[in-house]
Amino acid sequence: MATPVPVLRLPKGPDPNSRGFDPNSPRFIALCRTSIPTSAAAESDPQQLQEEQHARSVLRERFLRCLLAMSNKKVRFHMHEKVNVEATFGASDIDVLNFQVSDLHTPIGVQKEALIRSQDVISFTFDA
Amino acid sequence: MAMRQTPLTCSGHTRPVVDLAFSGITPYGYFLISACKDGKPMLRQGDTGDWIGTFLGHKGAVWGATLNTDATKAATAAADFTAKVWDAVSGDEVLSLAHKHIVKSVNFTQDSNCLLTGGNDKLLRIYDLSKPDAAPQEIAGHSSAIKKSLWCNNDSQILSAAEDKTVRLWDSRSMEEVKTLTFDTSVSSMEYLADGEILVITYGKTIAFYNALSLDLIKTVEAPAPINSASLHPEKDFFVAGGDDFKLYKFDYSTKEELESYKGHFGPVHCVRFSPDGELYASGSEDGTLRLWQTAVGKTYGLWKCVLPEDLGTENSEQLYSSTPEIKA
Repeated sequence: MATPVPVLRLPKGPDPNSRGFDPNSPRFIALCRTSIPTSAAAESDPQQLQEEQHARSVLRERFLRCLLAMSNKKVRFHMHEKVNVEATFGASDIDVLNFQVSDLHTPIGVQKEALIRSQDVISFTFDA
Repeated sequence: MAMRQTPLTCSGHTRPVVDLAFSGITPYGYFLISACKDGKPMLRQGDTGDWIGTFLGHKGAVWGATLNTDATKAATAAADFTAKVWDAVSGDEVLSLAHKHIVKSVNFTQDSNCLLTGGNDKLLRIYDLSKPDAAPQEIAGHSSAIKKSLWCNNDSQILSAAEDKTVRLWDSRSMEEVKTLTFDTSVSSMEYLADGEILVITYGKTIAFYNALSLDLIKTVEAPAPINSASLHPEKDFFVAGGDDFKLYKFDYSTKEELESYKGHFGPVHCVRFSPDGELYASGSEDGTLRLWQTAVGKTYGLWKCVLPEDLGTENSEQLYSSTPEIKA
């Protein structure tokens, strides 16, 4: 009578809240330390690296503050194929893959609630 | 004391899993990538099946997926007419290569510098990843959609299988056709083993083995059901196959004898591959799952634990033993 092979546990499934690639995993830390492409160059001057990192932090902070400031404001999205739409901005998801908007004015009507795929967006403007 | 195979089910995909590939053995173990019709290919730890991350960006079913040898890069082929290259450590999309039709197959050269793609536009394309804006080299010849395209013979040649019922060997430098194999029916899968230069081709209920350099037939084996994919063990003692009857079959390569068959999947098996160390094989199915199977059933490896008879006595498993166990560690 055959016994099934015992198993320590089942394989871990995907995390519903993130796309994974844990930045704290040994592999990530070892291989991704300089995920900044220009700094991955052989002659990475530590001074230059620091400046670049600082610049990136500033830009990132500005972008995040921009997203915060946009909340509940009317935003115009310029998208591919000459699509320009206006909507009231709600929020972005954590990986900035989607924007949640309300009252999206489209050529075929007003969508009360919608998700705009951020990779489809070229630029967006709003009055602060 | 016979042990029964316990497959490990990797869930997460919501549509059929159509392709899977292992990386080579890296200092962090080996990895597995799965292509799924849900458009979200996933990276997993190869020996446990633990999910590591999902590559997000494709807008259509992903038909093909591959990893480079050290699992630092991944490439995917999708129905959104693009092939994408990804950083397999961070999960970020690195390149998106536009095609004129559905892309079915992607394959890196050994040095990861070039990517070969093949798809429904019937062309083989070679991209130099260090010059992503440069136009790819194109090889025309197939008269129908290409299902699988691979580098072989130290990346000096290319093998392609298409719906035109042919498998063709090309010289990658001259881009000329070297040899063609014609079949009565479309080939369902192709696997290339660099070590030993063996090509594994499946069509109908047949698993055929060819010399990858000469395309001479080595042997064919008939399975009980139509086969969608097969894989030869790195040591060439076994091969496994799966297909439309949902089962996984294990055969002895030298004797062609069917050794085992395993039930488990709830739909046709679309792809099956041995891990680089040969200790397990992974199968992807229409049922949306990947399953990991042990080559040596009962051995301690990954999440499988060999339990000795004495150990079993301490757990609540009174139904297991009716006689003295004869096997000792």
